[in-house]
Amino acid sequence: PGEHSPSLAGISRVPVPPSSSPCILADSREISSGPGVISCLRAVHGLPVQVCPLGSSDYIVSSRLAVDRVFQSELQSPGNRNKLSQRLQRLQGVFERICVIVETDRVRPGETSRFFQRTQHYDGVLSALVQAGIRILFSSCQEETAALLKELALLELRKDAALQVPTEPQGQRRHVLNFYLSVPSLSYGAALSLCHSFGSIAAVANSSVPALAAGARLSRPQAEELHRFLRHDFDLQLLPQPLPAQGK
Amino acid sequence: PVTAGSIVVPYGHVIGNEKWRGSEIAQRLQGKVRLIFEDGLGLVDFHLSNRTCILLISEADLVAGDEFKRRLVRFRNASSLRGIVIVEKTQISEQYYSGVQKLVVLELGMVLLPVANQGEASQLIIQLVSFCVREQSRDRGANPFLRRQRAPPAEPAVLQAVQHIPGVGKTKALLLLQHFGSIHRLCNASVSELEQVVGQTVAQQIYTF
Repeated sequence: PGEHSPSLAGISRVPVPPSSSPCILADSREISSGPGVISCLRAVHGLPVQVCPLGSSDYIVSSRLAVDRVFQSELQSPGNRNKLSQRLQRLQGVFERICVIVETDRVRPGETSRFFQRTQHYDGVLSALVQAGIRILFSSCQEETAALLKELALLELRKDAALQVPTEPQGQRRHVLNFYLSVPSLSYGAALSLCHSFGSIAAVANSSVPALAAGARLSRPQAEELHRFLRHDFDLQLLPQPLPAQGK
Repeated sequence: PVTAGSIVVPYGHVIGNEKWRGSEIAQRLQGKVRLIFEDGLGLVDFHLSNRTCILLISEADLVAGDEFKRRLVRFRNASSLRGIVIVEKTQISEQYYSGVQKLVVLELGMVLLPVANQGEASQLIIQLVSFCVREQSRDRGANPFLRRQRAPPAEPAVLQAVQHIPGVGKTKALLLLQHFGSIHRLCNASVSELEQVVGQTVAQQIYTF
């Protein structure tokens, strides 16, 4: 039911050449929870979608924008609030911009259309999201969510923040990717671009902050944080105490 | 007329456009928030704080055509206030929603929130006001979606990262970090320096990694 690309109020859209279509990273959990979104992105919109174990967010559409897909029912009751806020707070540590797509719940077969009862909690969550500067989009189905993701990716492409077509590294490089992924402030996309832009970890470790920012398309604060992390002086005393039990 | 100027909203108050006096939404707001009506707010329907204001788009606006789009674009061009657009999304106006969303959120970069009727709009405004009040009183900890600024200590993460080097487990990672101090120095260590801490094979593995 989404009308696509009507000419809106005379705002000119720069036509995007088909060769530079943006790439979208999808979390592997989305294969089960949002198969319609992924297949629609690939089949209808023709975008390269790469499924990776993102862990943090549901989708990454550019080097700085993460998208989380939540169901309207999840915002209705206070039970999910902690989970959502922890998730979004973690995302804010890694991404400059965050967008939440609120999707109308699917009506399962045999179920009569559920009446959506707007709760005070729901309004409260929306207000908190607005106040925190998190972008909110509303979608009525998985197909529409896919269309919104595409729009977001195109928008980021125009702002020159699109993901460079990332390919999963193989073999030895796979370990290098895992090493970058273990850095707390780096997103999956940033770790991939570090893999592609730098020959080795030593090259990354010896780079200056501006070189890191330019080479891996990181924001200045992110590059600073990576730089600080790599030069962080390890202090055994600061490890959380129950040491032997950890990391098995 | 476009009013872009800032309006001083007294703490905890809402300033409403004169045209809403006596409407359902105003009646529901009264008693819950301190509502003041003012003439000449121009494009804005409600001011929640000095920075935040609301533009309401009714079902009728949506059906009537593009006039509301011009209004939004004029507001966006003229004002630096944070504009929250509340739109009446009903069975009749639903079909226009995705177009409006694309314009407001993706192209104008404003906030868009759908409601089913004026009653829901007033409930939403009450919640928005309470968050505006909290923001002004600097009670920012109350917002569950704002990131806490303190960073956790980096030690566990550094230790984790070093364990991603092939051949290095927890024990060797600890030894290496105690000896070299940081990942930066570990990267620049020679094979012979590494051999003093771990065995020959692992030292070679770390060096090539």
